[in-house]
Amino acid sequence: MTPTQAFLSGNLQAYILVALLLFVIGLATVLIRRSLLIQFMGVELMLNAANVALLAFARFRGGDVQGTVFYLFIIAVAACEAAVGLAIVVALYRHKQTTDSDRADSLRQ
Amino acid sequence: MFLIFALITLVGALLMFRLKNLITAGLSLVLCFIGIAGLFLLLGNPVAAALQIIVYSGAIVVLVLFVIMLLASHEEEKPEKPRGIQRWGSAVTVSALGVGAIWIVKNSKILASPTTPNVDPMTLNRLGASLFREHLVGFEIAGLLLLAAMIAAVSLVKREL
Repeated sequence: MTPTQAFLSGNLQAYILVALLLFVIGLATVLIRRSLLIQFMGVELMLNAANVALLAFARFRGGDVQGTVFYLFIIAVAACEAAVGLAIVVALYRHKQTTDSDRADSLRQ
Repeated sequence: MFLIFALITLVGALLMFRLKNLITAGLSLVLCFIGIAGLFLLLGNPVAAALQIIVYSGAIVVLVLFVIMLLASHEEEKPEKPRGIQRWGSAVTVSALGVGAIWIVKNSKILASPTTPNVDPMTLNRLGASLFREHLVGFEIAGLLLLAAMIAAVSLVKREL
């Protein structure tokens, strides 16, 4: 099997490339879009990119169970982050009637 | 199969990045997460694929869509001022990071090593045994963290406690 065929049928390099592209798209979403809600989705995307890389390494380094255990812990932390982050967005909307991160740039009332 | 799921994932992510309407952006995020679940299946990890669909495309995205509909901010608001430097600066940074990452992965000898080991698919049995034998403290702390996050979310949103 040539390197190109191996890449297209999914070797470690291909999985890491997909993970990196997902991370870059998530980072672009956080940096360029302005709505806090879509920035939040970008953060979720970056967490998932890390998960893809973690499980790909776990599989190609011998199928260890520890990778999946850490995937579980990452999911638990992501759920906490979702709850608290969305609560902050709702509180900000009540306070300033906006979800635009550029409009929420002062610490004063 | 790998190509199909990778394309689903990346197209979903790009749609989320480009779409103006926040609801459709959230729905394309579901598409992306389903693609990631397919990648996990191909990695011989059906447990992670099931968790991905249940927790991410089930719970978290539904929570985000719920908040979008609750706040009635379906579109991004008009920019207050252009902020050209920040936007172009971040675009250049992100594309430099992306090109650099692709270059490094492409030239890495270790990642390209053609070992595709024949390992057993992950089972819930193995996962549970490892979780409750070796990582019991971490498991309990994760439960405590979830409780703390729940209390924090309620106290942030409630008007007067």
